[in-house]
Amino acid sequence: MNDKLTSKQLSKKITDEYMEDAFHAHDNNKLVGYTTAISPVEIFVAHDIVPIYPENHAVANLTAKKGVELCSVVEGMGYTSHLCAYARSDLGYRKTGVTVTRGIPDPDLFLACNAQCFTLTKWFQVLARRGDLPVFVFDTPEHILDQKARKEIVKYCVLQLKELISFLEKVTKRKFDYDRLKEVMKYSAASSILYKKFLDMAQYKPSPISIFDALIGMAIAVYRRGTQECVDYYQTLCNEIQAKVDQGIGVLPKDQEKYRLYWENLPVWFKFSDHAKLLGSYGGVILTSLYVHAWSFEFDLNKDPLETLAENYVNRFSNSTIEDRADMAMDLFKKYSMNGMIMFMNRSCKAVSFAVPTLKEVLTKRTGIPALVFESDMGDQRFYAESQVRTRIEAYFETLDRLGLAQKTAAA
Amino acid sequence: MWESLNLKDVVALARDPYPSIRQWARDTGKKVVGSTIADVPEEVIYAFDLLPVTILGTHKPLKKAPSHLPDNACSLARSNLELALSYEGDLFSGFVLPQVCDTTQHLSDIWRINFPDKFVTSYLAPRQADRPSARYWVKEEIERLIDSLGGWLGKKLDSGALANSIALHNENKTILKEFYEIKRNFPGAITNKQFFAMMKVSQQVDKAEFNKSLKAIKDGLKMKKGKNYTDVVMVGITCDPPEIFDIFDDLRVNIVGDTLVTGTRYLQGAPALNGDAIDALADRHFKRGFFSPIHDNVYKNFEEVKKLYKETKAKAVIYVHIEFCESQEYDLPDLKDMIKKEGIPMHVLDTEYQTTSLSHVLTRAQAFFESLKGGSL
Repeated sequence: MNDKLTSKQLSKKITDEYMEDAFHAHDNNKLVGYTTAISPVEIFVAHDIVPIYPENHAVANLTAKKGVELCSVVEGMGYTSHLCAYARSDLGYRKTGVTVTRGIPDPDLFLACNAQCFTLTKWFQVLARRGDLPVFVFDTPEHILDQKARKEIVKYCVLQLKELISFLEKVTKRKFDYDRLKEVMKYSAASSILYKKFLDMAQYKPSPISIFDALIGMAIAVYRRGTQECVDYYQTLCNEIQAKVDQGIGVLPKDQEKYRLYWENLPVWFKFSDHAKLLGSYGGVILTSLYVHAWSFEFDLNKDPLETLAENYVNRFSNSTIEDRADMAMDLFKKYSMNGMIMFMNRSCKAVSFAVPTLKEVLTKRTGIPALVFESDMGDQRFYAESQVRTRIEAYFETLDRLGLAQKTAAA
Repeated sequence: MWESLNLKDVVALARDPYPSIRQWARDTGKKVVGSTIADVPEEVIYAFDLLPVTILGTHKPLKKAPSHLPDNACSLARSNLELALSYEGDLFSGFVLPQVCDTTQHLSDIWRINFPDKFVTSYLAPRQADRPSARYWVKEEIERLIDSLGGWLGKKLDSGALANSIALHNENKTILKEFYEIKRNFPGAITNKQFFAMMKVSQQVDKAEFNKSLKAIKDGLKMKKGKNYTDVVMVGITCDPPEIFDIFDDLRVNIVGDTLVTGTRYLQGAPALNGDAIDALADRHFKRGFFSPIHDNVYKNFEEVKKLYKETKAKAVIYVHIEFCESQEYDLPDLKDMIKKEGIPMHVLDTEYQTTSLSHVLTRAQAFFESLKGGSL
């Protein structure tokens, strides 16, 4: 039946069913576990815990420009305005009930994986205090350059995954099923391959997708990985994009695609479509970022599931050294033939942004391409200066034009 | 060089220890290794015949750090980076940089990239402390630090040197605890500024020498009770600039307990000398008090503060908030509520490294202590 649905219809169906399941979790003797978008959720799925991502809910509200309203409430509660807008808007939602969706179910437990950021751990601790609920911190030390240390880090993470399983067994009073985990891993591995294939279609000229398509397309990978439906969704999506490629359909027509751009950081959610239109008017398409690739896992099904989970979650871009992040970005530059870069200093996301000034230095040196750097916030409109950003974007394209970089590709 | 200091010398040294450390390094020919807070096992560094120095910011202007870390980064992180990039970088032969939060994680990378010719290694402290895996990981990290330092210096760690180093550091902490006890009972004998200067200098100079100064200072103290002191507990990570202690001294406020990483937490959990040294150092990690980035037990901070407040019979809690410390900023609203519900008077002192004007701190502190006493001080 799914074969007849478009990827958009399928995404809606999967999401509706998922949320329905989440809201009725207790009716079905399931628990709701809040977790971070980058976390070994396969363990939750295998243990029939419904994963809920407060970040996703925050994105919906921030994209709908609810940031100021929700964040202001939280600042009145004593939280400073420079904390993550996801966290502030979520705490604002808890206080006011204001949301553009039907909301999210309350949690029974938390899993915070700091491979993504430390903020989420602290945010979850705030939520946990309200209900005196258990928090499990999956601590992922930075994936440092020392190869021997990396092996030790994986061992430490495997130990913690075993502790996580014991924690869940204790909370749910149910034995963990390792065979079920193996099955979940198969789905996760398959959907990750397809998700990466989808992202990599931005290699084509003209590119059939922009980062804005990737940001919409990544949602199912974030909250439904480890399921058959996730695999089905990405297969459908890949088929659709491949059809565009076959017909030569791009985000911009081939003769108008002048600048194939790299984006560093999360998006400015409330300026999502405006940015796409503005850039498009200059012949620019943002193709990718390390952020959207964060869910391109490479699980090795021949390994112990806990080991391959540990290896994959510890080496995400957000937990990598700046040197490794630069290498990862360079790989994308080469693969996608990019000739421009926008480096967003996101006040909300210290975990990603504090690397940006150094990363910008490295990438401009290695590519020979100038970078546009701007500071704002992914969700709090008070930190977004419309005219300033617009002026900088205009000036940046003028610079690229002057340098004759249109349709040139990055140097090695 | 640091064997016969008096209290005045110690206060001056705490203000700017680097000329003195520089001189010491020249005189002894020994290498200096810098660390930021928290929890780097300095005993290991010292056992390699190196001088471990805890870097605690600079009061000189920021010039280079802002281009690496934006203005919403923790002011201590920016100040430390500035110290290394602009002022004292050449003094250090190497750095051991702990990672406890997003900022310190990036700080390590930025530091390493900016000092390609120096020894720079991270110390990856576990950011959970209540499970067996945390203990496993602390031990692994201590062993990795030993291997890294050994590889850099081309020598193996002498177990006798490590035992002696632990003994020397323990001695330092024992003396500092004795000072704290004197300070609690005889606030007229030693000021807040003097005491916390001794704490700071202890983390920055050779303890083999400095312990001698501390002992002599202690022996020479006049046990004065003083009058009209208000006892308080100080809560937080660090407290800077040192002139904040001047304000407390002027207001006759006596800090009788604290949870600072650069205060009591530094003194806690002396490693045992009668067993495996690495095990003892690993054990110490779990005997130390609450540190927001590494503890996921969200009530531990409150329970510790409450206990300390009761044990010391303090009259109030002073919370030192470092601007842009995300970890503190997530904890603080709930901690304030819990403390308020317990009926404990609390004053939040907002501070920032590189702060030059403290008039707002003084005004607010004066108002708080006046209200605490129900009238004028």
